[in-house]
Amino acid sequence: MIKDTEGLIRRLAQNVEPVRPLPNPWIRTAVWLGVSVPYLVVVMIIMTPQQHLSAMVSDPRFVIEQISALLAGLAAAVAAFATIIPGYRRRLLLVPLLPFVVWFTSLGQGCLQDLARHGVQASLLPHDPLCFLFIVLFGAVPGIAMVVMLRRGAPLTPRLTAAIAGLAAAGIGNFALRLVHPEDVSVMMLVWHVGGVFILSVLAGGAGHYVFNWRLLTAPSRNSAQ
Amino acid sequence: MTDSTSVDGRFVAFMRAAQAGDADAYAQLMREITPRIRFVVRSRRKFLSADDIEDLVQDVLLSVHAVRATYDPSRPFMPWLLAIIRNRLADAARRYARRTRQEVFVDNLDVTFAGESANSIKETYADPEALRLAIQTLPDGQRSAIEMLKLREMSLKEAAAACGTSIGALKIATHRAMTALRKKLMRNND
Repeated sequence: MIKDTEGLIRRLAQNVEPVRPLPNPWIRTAVWLGVSVPYLVVVMIIMTPQQHLSAMVSDPRFVIEQISALLAGLAAAVAAFATIIPGYRRRLLLVPLLPFVVWFTSLGQGCLQDLARHGVQASLLPHDPLCFLFIVLFGAVPGIAMVVMLRRGAPLTPRLTAAIAGLAAAGIGNFALRLVHPEDVSVMMLVWHVGGVFILSVLAGGAGHYVFNWRLLTAPSRNSAQ
Repeated sequence: MTDSTSVDGRFVAFMRAAQAGDADAYAQLMREITPRIRFVVRSRRKFLSADDIEDLVQDVLLSVHAVRATYDPSRPFMPWLLAIIRNRLADAARRYARRTRQEVFVDNLDVTFAGESANSIKETYADPEALRLAIQTLPDGQRSAIEMLKLREMSLKEAAAACGTSIGALKIATHRAMTALRKKLMRNND
């Protein structure tokens, strides 16, 4: 315990420096996109976009899945930035649910169609496990940028914040990945892509407490006050 | 309502100035919110001591200081502050629960280890018949000393008076008797 509260107040006031209030979560999401998109574009160019991309864009299911995956990633980013603002509307956490439901529904429908058309064996074609690593590669810079931005906020819900941030980074990484990676059957898409996004999200959530915590945040002022 | 709105408006003005680096406004804000923080902490953690409550108040003040950039001056101040207080209280409760889980409560035992070598002070003997026979074999003076001091639990003074001997002599007789008994009983065990 610090000796007296009045002394603590005096020390904190003496050391107070000007700070710029954090912009609202929507604006911060736009800033995050500004950092992430150039990186994604560069990686996509290096990996060469799919040859049949123009044909794929005319497939409504592909478009719905991509738009919903992108929106899910963006909504997760907004939600992650909202979790670090004390007193912010918790309802924002529900925003990513809708695009996620659309994404899953579309993929689930695709799975059923594949199963009906090709049978179980054909639908379980071997899939390139590098998919997961590609999601990590695409999501790396967006993920790091998000961690840096989130650490400026209050670690009110460290695990939840990290899990949603992981979802946002992996979601946007997955969106970019499908533009460069050969299209696969929906069952394997569901397993590797959606599964990969969720595994990254769970891993990020598990590490959240180490990255975002009050102890790290208050240590400098606590030390200077003692 | 009007009063709370005007109070909140004052806090907003102080916080806006503090975010711009105004130390006086910041100190004033901290001084005005401290009793409010203390009130909330005390009302939600009635069982805590005054020191623990002050600890939590200081923790909240440090947290407010660390995340003052997250306050948006276009929004009310008190919901922002209350969200931090609630979070720090929940965090403290979790820390307490974790600490309690890691602590192991033990009885204050007379000995440190269960091993026989650590229990040399223990004088009870498992075979009372063997002990009785061993006492019978002691010389008269030692036998009486043991009977009076250990079996009848007389004080040294009472026993000395009963035997017509000095306390010092009685102590020596008891010590010799205990040594002899220990040797005899250990031989029996072997």
